[in-house]
Amino acid sequence: MRQILTLALVFSTIRLATPLVLAALGGLYSERSGVINIALEGLLLAGAFTAASVTYYAHSPWVGLGAAMIAGALVAYILALACIRFRADQVVTGTGINILFIGLPAVLSGALFLSSGSTPQIPKENLLPTLSGLLPGFMPHWRILTEVSVMSLLALILVLFTRYVLYRTPFGLRLRAVGENPEAADAAGVGVNRIRYVGVVLSGALAGIGGAYLSIGQSSLFTRNMAAGRGFIALAALIFGKWRPVQTMLACLLFGFADALTIQLQGVPVSTVFLRIAIAVLIFLVIWFIAHQLSFLNRSRIIELVSAAVVSVIMWRVVYAVTRGTQNVEIPVQFIQMIPYVVTIVVLAGFIGQSRAPRALGTPYQKER
Amino acid sequence: MKYKALLALFLLSSLVFIGPACNRASYGADDKSKIHVGIVFDIGGKDDRSFNAAAWAGVKCAEMGTLPDGRTSCGKPALDIVLRDVEPGNPTSIEPAMRAFAERGYDLIIGVGFAQAPIMELVAKDYPNLHFAIIDGVSQLPNVASLIFKEHEGSYLVGILAAKTTKTNVLGFVGGMDIPLIHRFEKGYEEGAKSINPNIQIVQNYVGVTDAAWNNPGKGKELSLAQIGKGADVIFTAAGNSGLGAFDAVEQSGTINGRATHFVIGVDSNQNMVKPGFVLTSMVKRVDNAVYDIVKLVVERKFQAGFHVFGLESDGVGYVIDQYNKDIVSPEAIQAAEEAKKKIIAGQIKVTDAMAN
Repeated sequence: MRQILTLALVFSTIRLATPLVLAALGGLYSERSGVINIALEGLLLAGAFTAASVTYYAHSPWVGLGAAMIAGALVAYILALACIRFRADQVVTGTGINILFIGLPAVLSGALFLSSGSTPQIPKENLLPTLSGLLPGFMPHWRILTEVSVMSLLALILVLFTRYVLYRTPFGLRLRAVGENPEAADAAGVGVNRIRYVGVVLSGALAGIGGAYLSIGQSSLFTRNMAAGRGFIALAALIFGKWRPVQTMLACLLFGFADALTIQLQGVPVSTVFLRIAIAVLIFLVIWFIAHQLSFLNRSRIIELVSAAVVSVIMWRVVYAVTRGTQNVEIPVQFIQMIPYVVTIVVLAGFIGQSRAPRALGTPYQKER
Repeated sequence: MKYKALLALFLLSSLVFIGPACNRASYGADDKSKIHVGIVFDIGGKDDRSFNAAAWAGVKCAEMGTLPDGRTSCGKPALDIVLRDVEPGNPTSIEPAMRAFAERGYDLIIGVGFAQAPIMELVAKDYPNLHFAIIDGVSQLPNVASLIFKEHEGSYLVGILAAKTTKTNVLGFVGGMDIPLIHRFEKGYEEGAKSINPNIQIVQNYVGVTDAAWNNPGKGKELSLAQIGKGADVIFTAAGNSGLGAFDAVEQSGTINGRATHFVIGVDSNQNMVKPGFVLTSMVKRVDNAVYDIVKLVVERKFQAGFHVFGLESDGVGYVIDQYNKDIVSPEAIQAAEEAKKKIIAGQIKVTDAMAN
């Protein structure tokens, strides 16, 4: 049990959340300006492939990182051109870009490396550096368990920077204005479409950094579809974080934590006492939530809580009867694999509360004539 | 007007790109007298440096008599065939790819991976006169050959090598998608390790439950790091591209006095050269030989449906000792593995097949 609740979990969470934070931040710039960015997955893949290919030839991760930013920005510019200039449907265009980047790396890697969708492995010296030795001592293997990439630090800095830009600078004000009320912003003399271009292109550059982390930070090569849905999870985190930088980062950390937990929990015997309590608490929360949503209880806080408590005590008794006499049980792997998905559903369906999208999100702006 | 010009330019330039591609893919020019072989890869794609790569090596050898690089000889004669391949981007494009080959009357259509077995059943029923071969899958149809490997036996041997190498008595196993086939690797590995030391503990993890689990090296690395945190010092991967994350993890843990502190065991293809010094050995599954043999049977018109089983006795599975790992594996370990190999072939050791029940 103790081995689960260790610092290793914390650092694993940070490593897993880093690409999510970078992609979600990218999404934030675009969506705050009023353009839906469902293309984050494709932008991550574009960044990842460019970073790995360029690093392979240039032997420098920094050149690769820069190229990934440029590639992300260029791809995002296509999105911007379609969505802003030609007023195309933003979701359809974004999906198109996602599909494009399932195939395009395969074609390009065929031309560059005679492979079909992956790059050669990049030697360790040419990967993005890590901040090791933050916590020296303990046991020898602690060094690698507590290692995080410099990109994680960069992600944190970018979150704080974004918060500053969004709420403390004229550009941030304009960005929010064109996302909320483009007509008013236009009347005030703000170039709505120009700001939106900047928002979407910035979004691509940031997602490109996230992609670079995937291929030359966390791993040592690009493989096809290596983003594995992270772009969509970042989008969910952005909504959960109510389109605000720090909250979005916390949401990403929550998703990273769920992922890290599945990794750490697999194949580890869990004490039955802990399991019983965990199940009881989980059921309590679920029942409370359902009761809260049902209107026939007249939304009385006390009835909600009591009914949840009664059901969870009953369930606790059931679990107790089933697991009596055992010290430790191993949770079936299928249940553990469910954790990130359950967290996503619960978070998006229930605990998100009042999340209001930028009002002009998804609608192209056309100047009145 | 400006945009019309741009559009025209775009169309022209795309023609330039499509032109050469068309030439390569034009089927009209094919020599109809030759045997046509179509291969549909798994989601991992043919350069996963592992399972699909082995299948690709097999068909390339049959086509050119060389390894996929086109220069080095594969040690077998070329079979004078026409070869086409498809790498499906997602599971839904497997069936159209297979049907496209069948529609053009390909003599042999090879499906790579267990996931294609049900699809191949559908297609093979519609084209009873064509030959089909499925790798890792099973079909009872009279025109489908099922190429099966005894992965548990090969895994048993690398389990012995791992048990003889570990200092912590904790071994790791990283599986890709959580499916019975991969449990077969895990079970054999565990039994092999426990035959050396019953107290050895195996930490096992799976990357995921969907086919995305084969292409997620980032998660593969995190799983390996977690296993290293639990004390594992030899990690066996059976996870396609995700397994490459385990290679990164052991490399990151570094060396002491020139010897790696943690090792990884590669799978399917020989992966010893991926990170030399950190790869203990590779549990090879000679998909390449199996594929070459089935192509050869079709060329010689001796195709046989049913089960083609490849085990230790035919060197269909095994472990690799080459210049990259000969200094890492102790002679004693190799001796133990060789003895176990003889006993398995002789039937004295029965390795549990996790798929049998």
